[in-house]
Amino acid sequence: MSASAETSSSANVLVEIRDLVIGIQRTRSDRLIIVDSANFDIKRAEILGLVGESGSGKTMVCRSLIGTLKRRSASIFGGSIVFDGMDLATIDERKWRTVRGNRIGYVPQSALTGPNPVMTVGKQIAEAVRRNRRRSDKNVRGRVMELLDLVHIRRPEIVYDQYPFQLSGGMRQRVMIAAAIAQDPDIVVADEPTTGLDVTVQAEIMKLLREIRSEFNMSVVLVSHDLALIDEVCDRLVVMHAGTCVEVGSVSDVAREPLHPYTIALNRSRIDIATPGAPLVTIKGNPPAVGEWPAGCRFAERCDFVQQDCTIGPNPPLLEVRKGHWSACLHADALGGSGE
Amino acid sequence: MTAPTHSAEAESPSEPTHGDGPRPQSAGEKILRRTGRAIIVAFWVMVVAFMLIRLSPGDPVTAALGGEAAPETVAALRKTLGLDVDPFTQFWQYFTGLFHGDLGQSLISGVPVTEMLRTNLPVTLWLILTTVTLTLVISIPLAMVIALARIPGLPYIFRTLTAIGLALPSFLVALLLLYQFGLVWGIAPIFGYDPTFPANMQYLWLPALVNCVVLVPVLSRVLYSSILDTLDEEFVETGVIRGVRSIRFYWFYVLRPSLAPTVVLLSYVMGVMVGSTVILEMIFALPGIGRELVTAVTMRDYPVVQGIILVFGVLVVFLSLLGDIIASILDPRVKLS
Amino acid sequence: MTLISAGTADWFDVEGTVPSPKRARRLKDGTLGLIVGLSMLILLLLLGILVPLLSPYSIDESIDIPFLPPNGTFWFGTDGLGRDVFVRVFSAVYLDLGVAFLGVLIPFAIGTVVGIGLAVSRSKVLNGVVGSIIDGINAFPLLVLAIALIALLGPGLQSVVIALSLTNWARYARLARTRAQVVKQQGYIEAAQTLGYSKPRILFKHLVPNVSSETTAYALSDLILVILLIAGLSFLGLGAQPPTAEWGAMISDGRATLQMAWWPVIFPGLALCWAGVSLSFIAEGLTRRERDVKS
Repeated sequence: MSASAETSSSANVLVEIRDLVIGIQRTRSDRLIIVDSANFDIKRAEILGLVGESGSGKTMVCRSLIGTLKRRSASIFGGSIVFDGMDLATIDERKWRTVRGNRIGYVPQSALTGPNPVMTVGKQIAEAVRRNRRRSDKNVRGRVMELLDLVHIRRPEIVYDQYPFQLSGGMRQRVMIAAAIAQDPDIVVADEPTTGLDVTVQAEIMKLLREIRSEFNMSVVLVSHDLALIDEVCDRLVVMHAGTCVEVGSVSDVAREPLHPYTIALNRSRIDIATPGAPLVTIKGNPPAVGEWPAGCRFAERCDFVQQDCTIGPNPPLLEVRKGHWSACLHADALGGSGE
Repeated sequence: MTAPTHSAEAESPSEPTHGDGPRPQSAGEKILRRTGRAIIVAFWVMVVAFMLIRLSPGDPVTAALGGEAAPETVAALRKTLGLDVDPFTQFWQYFTGLFHGDLGQSLISGVPVTEMLRTNLPVTLWLILTTVTLTLVISIPLAMVIALARIPGLPYIFRTLTAIGLALPSFLVALLLLYQFGLVWGIAPIFGYDPTFPANMQYLWLPALVNCVVLVPVLSRVLYSSILDTLDEEFVETGVIRGVRSIRFYWFYVLRPSLAPTVVLLSYVMGVMVGSTVILEMIFALPGIGRELVTAVTMRDYPVVQGIILVFGVLVVFLSLLGDIIASILDPRVKLS
Repeated sequence: MTLISAGTADWFDVEGTVPSPKRARRLKDGTLGLIVGLSMLILLLLLGILVPLLSPYSIDESIDIPFLPPNGTFWFGTDGLGRDVFVRVFSAVYLDLGVAFLGVLIPFAIGTVVGIGLAVSRSKVLNGVVGSIIDGINAFPLLVLAIALIALLGPGLQSVVIALSLTNWARYARLARTRAQVVKQQGYIEAAQTLGYSKPRILFKHLVPNVSSETTAYALSDLILVILLIAGLSFLGLGAQPPTAEWGAMISDGRATLQMAWWPVIFPGLALCWAGVSLSFIAEGLTRRERDVKS
């Protein structure tokens, strides 16, 4: 059931997520499962994309990496998230306080409500630098300026004293990124960080993330529903559907040879390759609602390549079909070569 | 989607809101505008106070003197009240009089109204100050505790108790508490007043408390629901991730961002509170302008009534202005327009 | 508890994970409050009719035994003038509530008309002038203005209603104007105009109902305030005059002798609280339900 770790570069693996199960405990006896067995690795200094429709569970996986599942009333019901000898799925809040923001950073989704509106930008980054310890103000301010510079904000002395609402969306996100990398984390989790930003700004933020990866050797987990974006920016990607990972691999591998019908369908429905004048290609149907997952493969109903055995039995496991390329399709092999 | 107005990588703060709209005003500008608006309202307050006397369906003079007064007395009173000239001249006299600090004299005692104000206004102001302080000191922690403590059923109890509290008549509460604390337990004075601070506190704490019975439910409710809304915001989660803890967290991430909606309420609450000081001064026999007002009304002492009304109106305008300004300092999102 | 864990993920769970069983949900959505409030009010209204009707004593009749404590014959005792407190308290129900109702209805009507009128009018001058007057009036505490007007009108419940009508309308006007401005911008108004509906029709079928729905909510809380206001004014001697049976006046009458006779004060006081609290529960219940529907 579990994906085997990459044998050749296990030193490169920062986080191993195995059989992660996330859900909501509704009543004493009733559980709602939202993520059912997530399996993938996060490697050092890579940009990993996490793609899926809303309801696929990608947000929950992302939250489990920073330990704020409680905010959505969710908990981890099984599996492991191994990071630097710790299992993030089981550590207590005290331990989380040393990891969160420190070793694993977070860039909020909304440029509008992500930053604290009643504090100046400088103060907020300073918080990230200080992390509740007392350090001499000069040091802190210096570091904040350094960070503002790293995210390419001109005139940081002025921006330092401004409030978020005085800045443009792009600048706000840069500030958030500055705060996220303040402690030199190993991983930065970015949950749809370009929501609401226009395309040019989006490109610049992505560029910034790439810089972070290369210059500071940080890994970035980029969550998005936009496959085109992921293709452009990420090194590897994880495709999620209805609470499971259905395909994991490098962006080039997956683009060249998608091994899951869902990925193929996503590819086909991309807006950037749509033909003007022709009807937009969409994926027929809707993903099954949480709690109403059918037997067998959950994509079967919408699948163009569905077969008899797809709808019976348990949810198909993620298996390494090619080297470094996993798929949860029972007939992945047959798909190989028939992709876009 | 706004068209990008820049192509450079680095973003400059000189055009902070790239096409998002007009340049945001500085804090100082906003305050100035708000003050300007307050002054305009204060002007209309003066007009209303002025019109009040002249609004009578009958003739205020005969109403004051009774039907059988001699014509000379009537004319004399009319002249004193300034009612012998046409309305515009009246207003002009009134208006200029204000700037000379002349609000007329009491018909009963002859004492200049401003003199009476000088003696009695401080009492009312002290009462208001004590009330506001006490209300805030109780409401804010209360709202926070109810919002953050995860005791099931607590919010429900809170809502029920506050629904009861805000419907209670303040004069009844005052009577009962005065009886209990004053007569039975003897820990509050029944009458009298000492104007020096802090001696006046022993006369003011109970009336202020009575006011709280009605005001705390109103304020804490709004703050409570506002805090709940704030807790849903993304920046709170970001704060937790950044490792912000305890007091700093409570203040910057929970309380301050929740204060904005309370602003509108503050102005309303000021009005209600200032009004209730009238009844409280009567019950607690405090020598403030509220009590003077009631006496003046029963005696039909128009200049005094008019003067006190004016003061009340301006007071509320000023307090609302103050409240709005403080709120905007605490939360830059607050619109002061 | 929370003090220690501030800024940690532990307190995110604000409302609790385990959701409430169905019973509790009814509590939450405000229905219980609504039912309780309505029952309280209806009970009061019923007693307000039945007691004066069935009571052997009239409100002015004195048995010449003042300050009789509550007993088998006089359930609420007698007041300082030997009158039956029980029948007086319940006779006041329709008086207090009725006057309060008027004191809300008239300002509501005037204010809504003026407010909508302002929002609809294109005259900036009118808006500016009347708007400022409204702001000016609203700056005053209602009680203070009412007291001042009574200086001119003379004390009495009639004056109270007039005073309220002359002053409270401004609050409704401001509310109605703001709301009307918002509604005016709504799509369906434009749609109606494009469809060629006549102005009056748009006004009455669309604008007025939408504006009124929100002002009605305000009116309910205002009703509570006005009841207290009337009682308060009567307490000060400026409202209901003796020998009128009115709660505030009764409390004022019994005030001096509170120490030896609590019943002439407490029972009218309770009735007043009862009325206010029942309305408060109703208002609370309604807003909770509306919020539920909206979310």
